[in-house]
Amino acid sequence: MSKRVDPGLLNELKQFGDVPIEACFNCGNCTAVCPLSTDETPFPRNNIRRIQVGLKEDILHSPDPWLCYYCGDCSATCPREAEPAEAQMTLRRWLTAQYDWTGLGRLFYTSPAWEVISVLITAVLVVLAFIVFHGPMVTGQVELNTFAPVDMIHLLDWVMAGLLSFFLLTNVARMHHFIIRKGTDAQVPLVLYITEAWQLAYNFVTQERFSKCDEKRPWINHLILVSGYVTMLVLILFLLPWFQTDNIYPFWHPQRWVGYYATIALIYGAGAALWGRFKKIRQMHRFSHLSDWLFPILLLIGAVTGILVHLFRYLGLPLATYTIYVIHLSMMVPMLVIEVPFGKWAHLAYRPLAIYFQRVKELAVEQQARKERLASSGA
Amino acid sequence: MALEKLQVDSLIVGGGIAGMQAALDLADQGYQVALVEKEASIGGKMIALSKVFPTLDCCSCITTPKMSAVAHHENIQLLTYCEVQALEENGGGYTALVEKKPRYVIEEDCTGCRECEYACPIDLPSDFDRGMGAYRAVRVPFSTAVPQVATLDIENCILCGKCEKVCPHGCIDFTQTARHFEIETTAIVLATGFEVTPKDAKKEYGAGQFDNVIDGLMMERLLAPTGPYGHVLRPGDGKEPDSIAYVQCAGSRDATLGIEYCSRVCCMYAIKQAMLLSGALPLADITIYYMDIRTFGKGYEQFYQTARAMGIEFVKGKVAQITEDENKNPVVRVEMLDEGSKIVERTHDLVVLSVGLLPGYNPGSLYGVPAADDGFVTVPSPNISPSETARPGIFVTGVAAGPMDIVDSIVLSGAAASEAAAYIEAHNSRVAVSESKGKKELAHV
Repeated sequence: MSKRVDPGLLNELKQFGDVPIEACFNCGNCTAVCPLSTDETPFPRNNIRRIQVGLKEDILHSPDPWLCYYCGDCSATCPREAEPAEAQMTLRRWLTAQYDWTGLGRLFYTSPAWEVISVLITAVLVVLAFIVFHGPMVTGQVELNTFAPVDMIHLLDWVMAGLLSFFLLTNVARMHHFIIRKGTDAQVPLVLYITEAWQLAYNFVTQERFSKCDEKRPWINHLILVSGYVTMLVLILFLLPWFQTDNIYPFWHPQRWVGYYATIALIYGAGAALWGRFKKIRQMHRFSHLSDWLFPILLLIGAVTGILVHLFRYLGLPLATYTIYVIHLSMMVPMLVIEVPFGKWAHLAYRPLAIYFQRVKELAVEQQARKERLASSGA
Repeated sequence: MALEKLQVDSLIVGGGIAGMQAALDLADQGYQVALVEKEASIGGKMIALSKVFPTLDCCSCITTPKMSAVAHHENIQLLTYCEVQALEENGGGYTALVEKKPRYVIEEDCTGCRECEYACPIDLPSDFDRGMGAYRAVRVPFSTAVPQVATLDIENCILCGKCEKVCPHGCIDFTQTARHFEIETTAIVLATGFEVTPKDAKKEYGAGQFDNVIDGLMMERLLAPTGPYGHVLRPGDGKEPDSIAYVQCAGSRDATLGIEYCSRVCCMYAIKQAMLLSGALPLADITIYYMDIRTFGKGYEQFYQTARAMGIEFVKGKVAQITEDENKNPVVRVEMLDEGSKIVERTHDLVVLSVGLLPGYNPGSLYGVPAADDGFVTVPSPNISPSETARPGIFVTGVAAGPMDIVDSIVLSGAAASEAAAYIEAHNSRVAVSESKGKKELAHV
């Protein structure tokens, strides 16, 4: 079987992260030191080798970069300081852009200006929409649902969710196409997708693979962040009429506690990520692409402005509540629009999917091999 | 008291194989040479080795004649247990201030009979055997030491006086102090040699905490006929190893250690030791884990191919980690690059780290010769004058100039001797001209 080599691959990747991939002399230290690497999916050296020789399709058809959680042991012990862990991170950015058929992912990852300006334009559009379409501003008392009727917001949530899901799911379909259709010759029976579907949910919720890195703290921090994020997502998509209300519930009410938990988890998780990057605490923090900053920053601003909406309403400050609410949405909407299908948010989908696809692929290959053995022994 | 003075043409610093060869090459041409060695015996690292590649000559057999030749050469002043403490320029030459450390033994009277050593009650881990054997607090450093003179290690001595009682010549002298003297010389040859990467440098390899993970020089002692156990046994428990692994580049070509250069000797010494082990332990399995095999010298590639043909296993892949199982067997973890990137953990009885060469001494401030970032003395024009340092009249040879094997050290020492001789000749004729000029001017008056 012939393979197509793309000599420009290394330079293309350099646009997604400045890593000294050419320094690697392929000793295999990184793969052997990695606690997640296995005989079936040995990485990261194989990926670096593929980059060096330009085997673009091999990388595109492999889930490996998503299986790495950046503990950084490989980078810390690399005899060439070739930063294999950051190479995996760079590949994840590149793959996100490859899965995205619109080309916006590539644009945002390779051009900081485009990414920042797009976020700002979306934010301005949200503010303008409120200036034009907002409801009556009651100033005697806080009536947020008069200013921004919850049914209307809820409807727009679903419109946005539908749009973003469309983009994300089409990207996921491409990911599936690359990893399963192109990534293996084995026939994958449909039943495997169904019997292994639990993997998807299980890994999404627990991020169990992350916990197999030697240091557990980053996994716990990440788990807290995700728990806060998912709670908030459920509140906003499914329970908004219950959550965004002018009633102030008593202190013991679950509506308040669920909101408080999600806010604290988001602030802690995003804060820890940003603080780590700022102080360069761990291996994973030493290199920071703009996208690594932007996603947690928007999350943090979203969480802080969200709790301020609650606080101002509690204090009975109508104008402050309406203003901060607009600011809140002007940060949350671009975070979702830019990051969900085209940016770092997408890893919420791609990481568990990669584990799922890899599992399905491995089982399919196993089954096929068994069938062939049976056939040949029968003959 | 006025300082004793010694006048020579050339001062050699370091009495390893490189320094000895440079001294002999100069002395044979008729130049007066002083050789200063900081240890109690000359011989350097080479005298502790088992055999040398690529000829598999016995090290003792080819080093001891050189050591004797140095000691008995009429043009060589051998100054062991001495260190250069200061250096001054002196009319085109140099004056070195040298300290002779006290041996607490009257050197001139000692016959090397070792009665003191047999009487001494203190056993210490032997540096010569890399900590594996033992020696006494007063001792002749090793059996073939030159000079054959006892040295008393006052740090570990309990002053029991047993040695003093048994010495047939009354040589033991606890009142000795350091002596100082000056050497006036025209040229200097630095041959200060190397140390190896410390065993604890890499925490992935157990940071020196595993008894059955040793370095290449320890294996040399195990293989040497004069070695500590007289047989290849692993130091952890004295078991005869059935499976021995070599970890290549365990201290070279590793940016995390700040040592990015190739030490040049490790591939060949590992292959050589593997061959010797095949003879010493015919049933043992021997594996060499490597990143690249670098056999660049004359006859070296054939040497490597012979080792392969002998059944020594070569595995491409850098060992990422060494751990220890419950029986204190080292376990190596490696990606086998030629076996479809399989990640394996293999248990061996004994692991040898092929540690790299580090500069043994930084002559920068004392001799005013700059060292490069890697710590080795800078040679400004290696293609034209391979042993000339940045300072006129100071030459460098052996590993002090950069990692090299014995073959190359001998060659470079010959070069250093030639360059030093040329420098001495030029200096002497300059002096002669200025002296004759002075005479003429006097005649006119």
